[in-house]
Amino acid sequence: MLEIKNLIYSIGDFTLGPLTLTLSKGEYLALFGPSGSGKSLFLELISGIRTPQMGAIFFDGADITSTPPQKRPVAMLFQDFALFPHMSVIDNITFPLKMRGYKSDQKRRRADELGGYLSIEHLMQRSVEGLSGGEKQRVALARAIACDPAILLLDEPLSALDQDLREDAIELLRLVKSSSRAIIHVTHNRDEIQELATRTQHFKT
Amino acid sequence: MFLGGVILLFLVAPLVGMFISVKSPELFSTLTDNVVRSSILRTLLISALATVAASIFAVPLAYLLARRTFPLKGVVEAIIDLPIVIPHSAAGIALLGFISRDSLLGSVADSFGITLVGSPLAIGLAMAFVSVPFLITSARDGFAAVPIRLERAAETLGASPFTVFREISLPLAKRSVVSGLVLMFARGMSEFGAVVIVAYHPMTTPVLIFDRFNSFGLDYARPVAAIFIVITLLIFIILRIYQKR
Repeated sequence: MLEIKNLIYSIGDFTLGPLTLTLSKGEYLALFGPSGSGKSLFLELISGIRTPQMGAIFFDGADITSTPPQKRPVAMLFQDFALFPHMSVIDNITFPLKMRGYKSDQKRRRADELGGYLSIEHLMQRSVEGLSGGEKQRVALARAIACDPAILLLDEPLSALDQDLREDAIELLRLVKSSSRAIIHVTHNRDEIQELATRTQHFKT
Repeated sequence: MFLGGVILLFLVAPLVGMFISVKSPELFSTLTDNVVRSSILRTLLISALATVAASIFAVPLAYLLARRTFPLKGVVEAIIDLPIVIPHSAAGIALLGFISRDSLLGSVADSFGITLVGSPLAIGLAMAFVSVPFLITSARDGFAAVPIRLERAAETLGASPFTVFREISLPLAKRSVVSGLVLMFARGMSEFGAVVIVAYHPMTTPVLIFDRFNSFGLDYARPVAAIFIVITLLIFIILRIYQKR
């Protein structure tokens, strides 16, 4: 499904790679490593936010190294959730559907489905500004999986949550784990997702 | 505190003094004067149109300045600030050379039977020339304050660069962009130096104030000035309320 070959990216004095990796459908890869080891950078390269200086990224055999982010089969859950503060919860969740030209009733139906799935149906009309950390994470997760991406990138999704919410969040990640989707989960805490991960990889500084 | 009070007094006293000096009958007769009314309407309308037209080019440029690094960016920023530092009468002379019949633009317009010098279009160009830096600077600061992470997130969710601008950057920088538009509009309608060079007629209100002062003296110029200051103050108050909301 996802194939990364000899990926190299340099920024300032830091060089990531060369990295080679293959990920199949249904796999849940946990990436560990200390701060500054380039874990988030790696996700940004896969999502297309950054373009590698060397190496290639393939999806189902097609080279997507230079494909812009909006055309990749990838969604990303950001560490700070990156919810759009000027939009309501439902507008945030249906944003990727709107970008793909879904009609209003289709968007509404998908939002209801995700709302029920992630227990956020009661928040739909609220502004994202007043949500708690746990609620924000659910909304961000709903937005990330709204278009059913083939690859889901999770950038330290649990780090902004307190201990009580982490247990719920891990349950949530168990929910989105799917046989048709590959997930890469970046974390600096090896223990927190040991049950979820099917593979692990360690990044060094 | 005393020193600060002196400067505040310096700013307020001439305006207060002018309003005290204006007699009510003069004020009412000026308000009903068709020449004054049409000049105010003309000034507001041309400044508004110049602001809207300039914003089509200025807002994307502000976004580029906030988000991209490119060669000679410092030079571009200096060019944008140029109209603020050069004398506006000199700007008017420069514009006159740009739109006169001898110039490329002027001769093209002339071939269509349009004389640019002395036209509302020339007034709009002069207003835009001196006031567009206010829009660009305010919008640029607004775009720079939008977290780049939100734009990146939108891209990963399927938004093209233009859609990111329209759906994320512009709404989040709206307050600064609107402030810039109001500032540009207000600065444009107040312009005298550049406008008087490119178009004495049809008269904008600042030119009319000068014309009345020059031809008839202070007593005739003062009521027009007082009415125009009230209008500009109203715009300024609306802007302040919007910014504080």
